Amino acid sequence: MKKALATFYGTLAIAWLLPLPAVSFPQFQQYCEKHSGRPVNCFMCHMNDDGPTGDGEGQIGSLKPEDLERLNKTRAQTEPGSEIDNPILNKFGNQILHKLGMKKVLELTNDPSKLPEALGKESDLDNDGIPDGQEFADGTDPLNKFNGDPWKLMVINANRYKFQIILASIAVLLLDYGLAHLIKGIAVKLDKKEDVV
Amino acid sequence: MIESFLFGALPYVALFVCIFGSIYRIRTQPISYSSLSSQFLESQGLMWGSLPWHIGILLILLGHFIALLLPGLWHSLMLHSLVLASVEASGLGLSILCVIGLIVLAVRRISSAKIQSVTTPMDLVVLFLLLGQVTLGMVTATMHKWGALWCSATTTPYVWSILTFRPDISFVQDLPIAMRMHIIGAWLLILLIPFSRLIHMFAVPIQYLFRPPQIVEWTSERKEEAAGEIFESEETRRHFMHATIGIGSGLALLSIGIMDKLLRFFLGPRLSQKEESELMEFKLKQLERTAHQKSLELERQENPYILIGTLEELNPTTGKYFIDYKMTPAMAFKGDDGLPNLLSAKCTHLGCTVANQVNSDGKVVCPCHLSYFNIKTGQPDQDAPAKAPLPHLGWVLMDTKGNVLASRTAQGEFTGSIDPTKLQGARVYIAKKLSEGTT
Amino acid sequence: MKAGTAFGALSNFVKERFPVDKMNFHYMVEKKEVPVHSMSWGYYTGGLTLFFFIIQVITGLLLLFYYQPTVSDAYASVEFISKYVSGGALIRNLHTWSSSCMIFFAMVHLITAFAMKSFEKPRELTWIMGVLLLLITFTFGFTGYLLPWNQIAVNASKVGLQSIEAAGQYLPGALSKLPHTVIEIFQGEATVGQSTLGRFYAMHVVLLPLALIALLGAHLLQVQIHGMSQGVDVPAKKTEKFFPVFFFKDITLWTSVFLILFIVASIIPFDAFLPFPLLEPYNALGSTPAGIKPEWYFYFVYYPLEMLPFWVILLGSLIVMGVLIFTPWIFKGTSRKTLKLIAGAATAYLVIMTLFGDKILHIVKPGA
Repeated sequence: MKKALATFYGTLAIAWLLPLPAVSFPQFQQYCEKHSGRPVNCFMCHMNDDGPTGDGEGQIGSLKPEDLERLNKTRAQTEPGSEIDNPILNKFGNQILHKLGMKKVLELTNDPSKLPEALGKESDLDNDGIPDGQEFADGTDPLNKFNGDPWKLMVINANRYKFQIILASIAVLLLDYGLAHLIKGIAVKLDKKEDVV
Repeated sequence: MIESFLFGALPYVALFVCIFGSIYRIRTQPISYSSLSSQFLESQGLMWGSLPWHIGILLILLGHFIALLLPGLWHSLMLHSLVLASVEASGLGLSILCVIGLIVLAVRRISSAKIQSVTTPMDLVVLFLLLGQVTLGMVTATMHKWGALWCSATTTPYVWSILTFRPDISFVQDLPIAMRMHIIGAWLLILLIPFSRLIHMFAVPIQYLFRPPQIVEWTSERKEEAAGEIFESEETRRHFMHATIGIGSGLALLSIGIMDKLLRFFLGPRLSQKEESELMEFKLKQLERTAHQKSLELERQENPYILIGTLEELNPTTGKYFIDYKMTPAMAFKGDDGLPNLLSAKCTHLGCTVANQVNSDGKVVCPCHLSYFNIKTGQPDQDAPAKAPLPHLGWVLMDTKGNVLASRTAQGEFTGSIDPTKLQGARVYIAKKLSEGTT
Repeated sequence: MKAGTAFGALSNFVKERFPVDKMNFHYMVEKKEVPVHSMSWGYYTGGLTLFFFIIQVITGLLLLFYYQPTVSDAYASVEFISKYVSGGALIRNLHTWSSSCMIFFAMVHLITAFAMKSFEKPRELTWIMGVLLLLITFTFGFTGYLLPWNQIAVNASKVGLQSIEAAGQYLPGALSKLPHTVIEIFQGEATVGQSTLGRFYAMHVVLLPLALIALLGAHLLQVQIHGMSQGVDVPAKKTEKFFPVFFFKDITLWTSVFLILFIVASIIPFDAFLPFPLLEPYNALGSTPAGIKPEWYFYFVYYPLEMLPFWVILLGSLIVMGVLIFTPWIFKGTSRKTLKLIAGAATAYLVIMTLFGDKILHIVKPGA
């Protein structure tokens, strides 16, 4: 019975929202997949893999009344710089709206390749060293520190961890040096034992 | 006033006197340009005193000099807490060694008559000064940690300012008393170099490290034989020494690298308040998801009918996902006849969930291997990897009061009647009895 | 008497493979010599595989402290290890990289041992145990892959297991249901779920390691008893002592490889190679993301499976398995030159299919 009610309310919510403009942008996904060669899904900006429509988790159909209020408040803000807390967008999605504003985002649907430039280099939400805009162009997750273009990450991490790498190399060299002498010493001892025998 | 003298003028006096005094002494009294060793008078005490003293002080002074000569590198190394702790710990250990050595030397100088006969007052002054200096260093290390780090902002720039003839005592004039006395003690020791045995610091025979090996010609055969054996036994000893140094330092470095990480690994991470709550929220969501799945399973176990939605909300081109009685995904479309069209969404190729968007050919696609399925017949395309059709599901249409209006089995058998007026608010269900017997 | 000669033949066989007079420290370590020739580098490949296995055991043990094998917690526990546990990201990355390296070097070891005709008498048992070890290693990879319980883990395992189902169409009558039953035994239930995770976990952490260590012990014992194989047609003029020369070279190689592995694992996260939708937590009720593929070491059988009819792959795999196990008898009289050719062809196939399988698939099936 509860389930039926929940589905009923969800359906009502969808019905209520239908007059409002749809707000998913397949152009960004298409550009991203074409440019990077990697398959991406709506999860890059949204809370659900399959996008904002539907009644799954993180989709409009499953929002509670207070979340719907938040959604409408966010949709009313079209200029950059405002506090964005859209329940169907993840941190990256909210960051885009916060930095660019809905108006600019709608402009960019005509040329998604300009999005990295518009976002700039400072924003790096997962702190992996690759700017979020660049991660969009590469088709990697801007919220996952361990997902990024492998070669870019390689260079960035080699720089971040150069201290550990140098010390580890020195340690291994010393170990090799010591082991060489150890084995030689044992060998000489065994040789002598044989000679004596 | 007195501070400007002690920290500003004294260094120059000390350095000047040291340099010119030493040159003068080396040229005019060359025989005194040595450590004035008393080893042949008393060697046991000297070994137990001089060796620990010199090992300790040489390494400590090395640390001081590296910090002075390579301040940038030193500072960046000391920023790593583990390196800093190791350096400070080693320094403290070495200074204990120095103190032990100095005490043994002092006792030796006081108690041995032979040594007393060659002791000058300056020897005692130097001994006393060195003991004081090392003690002050230890006090600084223990009471005013971490010197290896804060020297970069205080003593290092101070000494450089002296050496570059731009003395700036502001770097050190507000340091604690023990530290200031340690600095003054250092300048005093430098001042005393040309007047004491300390001049032996400049007389270290470094050329011995690079001189060619000496060939020894033994005069007796017995010694010649013994020499061969000794050399051989020394060979294994040399190898094991190199081995110990190499493996020891390698393992020490590796241990320093992983030790604190390993300890914290077993201790478990300490999360901040925010991180802890984010983690718990995530876990809660996961549990809710599992619970939701279990409740769906229970619902299908217990109920003869499962609601999909109203007939109005079904769409001819976008399927509504639902979970059927077998806990597999399925989708509901509105057919051309206005009645529901239920199709399994589990691809018959390898089980991926088929997408719910119908294209212009009336087909849906499975994203895994791109099998296209006709939604009316369920048949895959000729060249699709999937060979079997997506099965249809039977449905039941009920009005708002729960009366069954019509139903259709998976095979297409229709029962009931469709009265357009009664369709208002009609709801689509899947029925347990309609799904039994289907694979 | 027939029974007598059969028993005699068997006991001779065992005596030659397990010569008791050679099972002592002096013979197995001190006197052991390693031939020096152009293929001598092949002698190190087995040791490297063992080295990577040791890394797996150590990193696996550390991961075991924090991993939780339940459907609701597995993903979160792996994320916890990477994000919060001290050194966790490095340990996990070491484990992933090392697993690929272990499988890679196991294959290299197989091919070089084949090309060097190391399976000659009396080393037949060593070879057979090696083939079994290879199968265990691949199973390690397959079972371990499921444990993070993300989209790629569950879906790739599903695809892998369901490919067995296709064999049913070639079996007569009631037997055609057999593959389905086999799959359900692996899965523990109708679909890949908690039961599957529990079983795969038990296999990956206990059963397979025990089996591998037991076989490995026997494998290494055989190597030490019989010594290093000749490797080339003309016995090498030069040999070096196993201890200390070869042993030191082996250890130096291990430490250098460790350094390289450490550096690579520190700077390149393995997850960076995967499209991020595959790294999301598995959602039983949602859609399946695009790009589901098994791990790279299965490509040599995965892409052909996509391109050719199932029966071809099934037959081919059975033949290859049979040939591998009975190699010491099938190739008994084959010259090393021919063996090298076969090994070269096999290597070429493996390399091309692994690196370019995707492109080949798109050429053969443009729609895919």
